[in-house]
Amino acid sequence: MAEFSATVYQNEFLPDGGTDVNAIVTITCTGAGAAGQTGAGDAGEIIIVDTSGSMGRMKLEAAKVAAAAAVDQILDGTWFAVVAGTHQAYLAYPPVRTGTGMVRMDARTRFDAHQAISMFRSDGGTAMGTWLTLTGRLFDSVPMLAQRHAILLTDGENHNETPEQLTAAILGVTGKFQCDCRGVGVDWQVAEVRRIAQALLGTVDIIPSPDQMGHVFEELMQQSMSRGVAEAELRVWAPQGAQVLFVRQVSPTVEDLTARRVEVNPLTGGYPTGSWGDESRDYHVSVRLSAKAIGQEQLAARVQLAIGGQVMTQGLVKAKWSDDDQLTTRINPEVAHYTGQTELAQAIQDGLAAKAAGDEDTATMKLGRAVQLAAETGNEEATAKLRKVVDIDNVETGTVRLKRSVDRADEMALDTASTKTTRVRS
Amino acid sequence: MTDPAIAAPERTTPTCPNCGNAVAPTASFCEACGATLTPTVAEDGSEQPPDELESPITLSRPLDASTLETDPPDGFDNTLVVTRPCANCGGEIGSDGYCLTCGTKAPTERDHYTEHPASWVAACCDKGIRHFRNEDATAVAADPDGGGRAALVVCDGVSTSVDSDVASLAAARAARDVLMAHRPAGIGVPASRAAAIATSVEAAAAAANAAVIEQTAKDSSSAASCTFAAAVVEDDLIVFGNVGDSRVYWIPDRGGSGEPRELSLDDSVAQARIAMGVPRDEAENGPQAHAITKWLGRDTPDFVPRTGSMEATRPGWLVVCSDGLWNYVSEAGKLQELIAELSVADDDPLALSSALVGWANDQGGKDNISVALARLNGP
Repeated sequence: MAEFSATVYQNEFLPDGGTDVNAIVTITCTGAGAAGQTGAGDAGEIIIVDTSGSMGRMKLEAAKVAAAAAVDQILDGTWFAVVAGTHQAYLAYPPVRTGTGMVRMDARTRFDAHQAISMFRSDGGTAMGTWLTLTGRLFDSVPMLAQRHAILLTDGENHNETPEQLTAAILGVTGKFQCDCRGVGVDWQVAEVRRIAQALLGTVDIIPSPDQMGHVFEELMQQSMSRGVAEAELRVWAPQGAQVLFVRQVSPTVEDLTARRVEVNPLTGGYPTGSWGDESRDYHVSVRLSAKAIGQEQLAARVQLAIGGQVMTQGLVKAKWSDDDQLTTRINPEVAHYTGQTELAQAIQDGLAAKAAGDEDTATMKLGRAVQLAAETGNEEATAKLRKVVDIDNVETGTVRLKRSVDRADEMALDTASTKTTRVRS
Repeated sequence: MTDPAIAAPERTTPTCPNCGNAVAPTASFCEACGATLTPTVAEDGSEQPPDELESPITLSRPLDASTLETDPPDGFDNTLVVTRPCANCGGEIGSDGYCLTCGTKAPTERDHYTEHPASWVAACCDKGIRHFRNEDATAVAADPDGGGRAALVVCDGVSTSVDSDVASLAAARAARDVLMAHRPAGIGVPASRAAAIATSVEAAAAAANAAVIEQTAKDSSSAASCTFAAAVVEDDLIVFGNVGDSRVYWIPDRGGSGEPRELSLDDSVAQARIAMGVPRDEAENGPQAHAITKWLGRDTPDFVPRTGSMEATRPGWLVVCSDGLWNYVSEAGKLQELIAELSVADDDPLALSSALVGWANDQGGKDNISVALARLNGP
């Protein structure tokens, strides 16, 4: 049985008249077990592979290897299916037309799936919305599924759909399954694919060269299979009259959850977190209270993790009004660190967007700020990736020059990794 | 046939204060909305103990398990039992000690409590307004009727040390028990009687000191410490002693002969400066005024109390208090005026102790406040 614990990092002291309380809450899961094996319901996996004409022979052959490697990592007993996507979506395996669109993994179905994958041909365009819609329907055809996860591979832009069609498709499947998205090569749009991954509680990353695909897919599927907790909800209670300014996941990646609030009761909001393995995630919660008199203490938030409506753990975020400046001016290192990391992610994304739009002044300023923040918060991965896009004159002042020639894959890698955060160095 | 009138009283199914759904009496969380609940029935089916105002006193934090005796001293209870509605909004208090509606911290029994062992003796101990924890403690005991023995003890925990709230309460209670237990018999002369009781005041301070040390974790870098002020009444004889800056006053009723007196002498920087000729007001508000020069605890320089005695020949109040009160009314004459102004009915010590605490809170409640009182009616 999985166990959860919560740790709160904050400065609970507020000055006279102070209203805003910030806290980092670390939630840790142990004993998660394997997907679909904990008796809490079955797990389902769907592998979605881009088989559009742009894949060509080399990428398609690598995609076949990758899909087969992912199939090999799916545990026996897990429900699965393989979808081939072009400007339409095809159910490549299992070979059914109606009824249940997934099968349980065993030696025979694994062999048959390999056969089906080897028949992939590259042809046609790209309409990822149709892939997502079919995947949602396949999951729906197996009512006993408690955990639903997909891996999506694409290599190009979503040419055969309008952005509105893709939005509608994403909305149609949000909450139905989680989806980790990977783009191979440099012809796909990070922002477009990130939109899918964020809505479906998954990750986005670039696979720069086709020969890395097999390894990436193997890892993704292993990770998914180690998530024994199918679905959990972060809950934030705030007192009557208080305002929850924002709720963000800040580690392992930055995700603003504020708009995903589902009311549990008038004082408590629920935020879906997807499945959990043995891991820790950090959340930044910010609450605005009405100021109380010096010496008063109150709770600013109860931050809980709930499974199936049952609260597994709770962290208390407190507010104490004090006239002791030594207490109230203390800056909590965790809150400061993640505030910087969140700004870093935004600065990278804004800088790259400005660069793509030809606004070099804004790009230089934003990426300079990113260089500064990455150094301040000790995010070495971000610093290394930034160095491939800008020449750094001065780290402390954030003075940079845009590189004249940048490898597009490096720029995309900087973009996809922008939301990855480092933990506080103690 | 069962008569429904004599059947067990019908218990209505409790509902969640958050969402209104029915919940099991043993539930700690609401199944519908996940709100934290305070179970009304324990898992084994027994009723939760009713809310007790006087005792046991609930500590604000659990005691260090390593220092907790298997048979804890009277009244120590390390579980949080808060069943009253929120003082701020009337909402339900969660099992985490905060209101489920407005988040206000529910005062624990440790934050405010009163003692009233006999009609003529009472005490009130309060967190005050500006502190987050009540590190003061009182412990009083008395023979049932006026004229017997009473013991009044106040200990003020030093807030820079950890667990000083736990330590001060343990100290006050240990001292009180010594003072009630030691009863020299067959001594006729008042002077020798006073000397014998003064010896028990010293023994009480030693017991209190031991209790503080016992509550200090062995590896603690900041040893718990507290002040000590005690008074014993036996018939009309008052014997007192103190370590630190908690005080003992004799306040005779206004309008007769006899002066109100501060019996104890602070072990403080302010007192040292007064002794050097600095005016009281200036000394008590000067730099380091509240720094004490003696205290109880592992790092005590000297825990032997300065003792003294007096005969109460007229009706009046014996007052033992912490600086949470005397910061606002230091001079004995002013305290006499204040007590007269507060004019409680029937010379009720509980009402007066609560009134004095309330008055100190009205002045700002900058520190924890303790007031222990004995009403003496004279020979």
